[in-house]
Amino acid sequence: MTRLLSVLFGALFTVATAWSLGTLLFRKVAPALYTWEERLLAFVAGSACLSEIMFALSAARQIHRGLLLALGLATIACALFFGTLRSSRKAFEPLTSLWRWVFLVAFGAFTWYAFFNALAPEHSSDGMAYHLGNVLIYEQAHGFPLITTNLYASLSQGIELLYLFAFEFGRHSAAALVHYSFLIALVFLVLSYGRRIGRPAVGVAGAIFTYTCPVVLRDGTTAYVDVALAAVLFAVFYLLQVWDESRDPRLLVPIGILAGFGYAAKYTGFLAVPYAAGFVAWKLWRARKPAIRPVLVIALLATAMIVPWMVKNWIEVANPVSPLANRIFPNPYVHISFEEDWRHFFSTYDLASRWKIPLEVTIRGGRLNGFLGPLFLLAPVALLALRLREGRQLLFAGLLFACTYFANIGARFLIPTVPFVSLALALAVADLPWLLLVLVAASAISCWPDIYHRYATYGAWGLDGVPVKAALRLQSEGEYLSQDVDYKIVRMMDRVVPPGQRIFSSSQGGQSYLPRELLIGYQSAATEVTEDILWTPVVGSYQPTRSLKFDFSPREIRKLRVVQQGREPWVQWSIAELRVIDGASELPRDRAWRLTAHPNPWEVQLAFDNSPVTRWRSWQPASPGMYVEVDFGGLQRVSSVVVESSSEDVNGKIALRGIGTDGQWITVSEHPVQSALPVPGNLRMAASAVLKTRGIRYVLIKPGNPGADDFFRYPAAWGMTLAGQVGEARLYQIR
Amino acid sequence: MIRLVCVFSLLYLAACDRLPESYPPPEQQPAVGDFDAPSEAMMVSMDSADSDQLIIKDIYPGGMPWRWTSQEPTIRVPLLSTENLKFSVDFTLWDETFKVTGPVEISFLVNNKLLDKVRYDTSGSKHFEKPIPPDWLTGNSEAALALSIDRVFVAYRDGSKFGVVLTRLGLKP
Repeated sequence: MTRLLSVLFGALFTVATAWSLGTLLFRKVAPALYTWEERLLAFVAGSACLSEIMFALSAARQIHRGLLLALGLATIACALFFGTLRSSRKAFEPLTSLWRWVFLVAFGAFTWYAFFNALAPEHSSDGMAYHLGNVLIYEQAHGFPLITTNLYASLSQGIELLYLFAFEFGRHSAAALVHYSFLIALVFLVLSYGRRIGRPAVGVAGAIFTYTCPVVLRDGTTAYVDVALAAVLFAVFYLLQVWDESRDPRLLVPIGILAGFGYAAKYTGFLAVPYAAGFVAWKLWRARKPAIRPVLVIALLATAMIVPWMVKNWIEVANPVSPLANRIFPNPYVHISFEEDWRHFFSTYDLASRWKIPLEVTIRGGRLNGFLGPLFLLAPVALLALRLREGRQLLFAGLLFACTYFANIGARFLIPTVPFVSLALALAVADLPWLLLVLVAASAISCWPDIYHRYATYGAWGLDGVPVKAALRLQSEGEYLSQDVDYKIVRMMDRVVPPGQRIFSSSQGGQSYLPRELLIGYQSAATEVTEDILWTPVVGSYQPTRSLKFDFSPREIRKLRVVQQGREPWVQWSIAELRVIDGASELPRDRAWRLTAHPNPWEVQLAFDNSPVTRWRSWQPASPGMYVEVDFGGLQRVSSVVVESSSEDVNGKIALRGIGTDGQWITVSEHPVQSALPVPGNLRMAASAVLKTRGIRYVLIKPGNPGADDFFRYPAAWGMTLAGQVGEARLYQIR
Repeated sequence: MIRLVCVFSLLYLAACDRLPESYPPPEQQPAVGDFDAPSEAMMVSMDSADSDQLIIKDIYPGGMPWRWTSQEPTIRVPLLSTENLKFSVDFTLWDETFKVTGPVEISFLVNNKLLDKVRYDTSGSKHFEKPIPPDWLTGNSEAALALSIDRVFVAYRDGSKFGVVLTRLGLKP
């Protein structure tokens, strides 16, 4: 019971604080709203303000439960003192009896499903992995610690900071409930919009289309952020429509704040800024009124919401928009190859054709992680709404917010467009009330979880049941969460791994329940290198099996460069070891030498560490002009250079250049002699030793990870012992 | 206001620092030879706890220091190095089955390549050992080792096949 109360308190306290902040803001700036509009928009705008305050506290490492409690209570007290919680606005005309009952029945039925799912212990994959995984880290560190090994920590996390506020009091479920409150706000905003334009039936239908949409309902009941983003973007649209009616310049303040908060909620939300600024500029230009000052107000307020995230990234990972744009902002923390692979995957999800998207995204849901429901097959009908001004506004905004969709074709990335398409579709058929009623009924029936499990792909992301006992904590959290293998694995690691120890794994899962540092292979440049090291003993093509020797008459050389001459669009260049030889013996690597490379200078030492399991890689496709360089710091007699590398052809397309006594770069040799290089000794043990030097003592191997069988069969050869096991997932300790 | 913005901008600039792009040689890793496991690390004893997960086929379960094999007992071992390795096996041709099969010819295989073929005209304990060409192993992380027995004893009752009594099999430096 105490646990349930803390969950509810955490969520309600966060919502109340955000709402109070919003009402204080709206007290001065939003005179042209109806009562319900003010309440809903105040919550969304107040969330933006609370998130910004949380950013400042996190940056100052001042996240403490007592401070947040004081902050929340002071905010609520302020709102009570100024009377802003009681709206004095006028109310909407009441809904007709028919549409009121339609709304109440559909909303009530789906809320039965949604509320208990949101209240139950959080176990969504990304929610309990990184959305709340980072929240747990911030909670433990009382703010932002320096994180360079997790790209998700570099994404904007405006919503996660609200989760952090709730997490301090009610842990994971409180965070999920905060997200669910955004879903409720979104649904009622859609309803209010219909009432504002004098079409309450359209509002009801749009709200039900949005609420029943399976991916929206599933996402909105977890600690994801997509529905919150949709609420923010719809609030921007809503306020712009209100501003267009009233032209009250004070409305530009919440518009600017919310437009910037779109970016803070999720990178794809940046479109709210050009949308809001462009909308205001266009309307004022057409009215022959000055536009510069209003646009500046929006731009400056939006910038104030965006810049903190960019500055944080610039300071921490040398890229303001990390993990994107790494070619523009090259840095040691995210490899270019990772970003390009990531983009490629998310733009295709390995679908054979983009023509498969419409069915996948509306009915099947198995490949694109969720689905919108069959009603959205009728989305083209929404174009009929173009005949109306409101329809054009809705469709334009929906289209604009969908234009980043093809960068990630997952169904979740369509959520921001759902309210716009829902309203436009309802508007398109609004003149036929019976048809609207049929569509509402069809949507509610086809999107009822027990129904869609009959036609959607098995395992498609959706709600599976109503976990009343788990939600009310009549079933223990541990027992409920133990249905999830990732949760069982992290509990095992929590038992086995001492505090302060780092664990390495190739795949993520459940970190928000693990108070240990879990390094995930793909999540940063450093962890990708660790993964490369770990796989080298078991992947033959990674091993240095080829020696390329440049022999030449002995000469005095100041700098040496091994230069790539080939171009391979899909293959990276790599060097395991670069050895410089004078006569019969290798020159010892002097600390006075300076090593560099282009690209990726930050990992050049891996080609000079005498380890066959580490290698410098270009981490982007090989192309002419790439090089690895040694500066001897003075003239050095050299007679040959040996490059040890793996067997890819491109590694052999190299030349040796140098600066001699005359200070000019010359080509020393373009024809290395190739020979096979036997792999000596125990690479497994060597890899384990390098992991130890990187501070890693535990390795989690899951079925399907490269080398999983090898670890299982030969732990002794790796210098490891089995420390724990859940199913086929095994945790090894490096001795 | 503009002055304040300028001051803060300069402070921000002062906080920026370029990442280094050249480095000294790092600490040298120990030679891989230093990580060589004990000489027995690539040998599989039939009484070891790990032996089950290293058996690929044709070796019967057992709790003794030895196990019966069928016609082509095969195991896998980790390759802790690829140079100067020898195929090594200890086995017994049991008197009772030998009386039925008579002399047997056993092929010794490494990754399905024939290393040698030996004819045994007597029963009793046997040991076979022979160097493996390094290029048979390069690029692999493990090796499959097998004995292929030309004549086996077939049980009258259920048709089970019995080849040799295996004690140890693996690679030796």
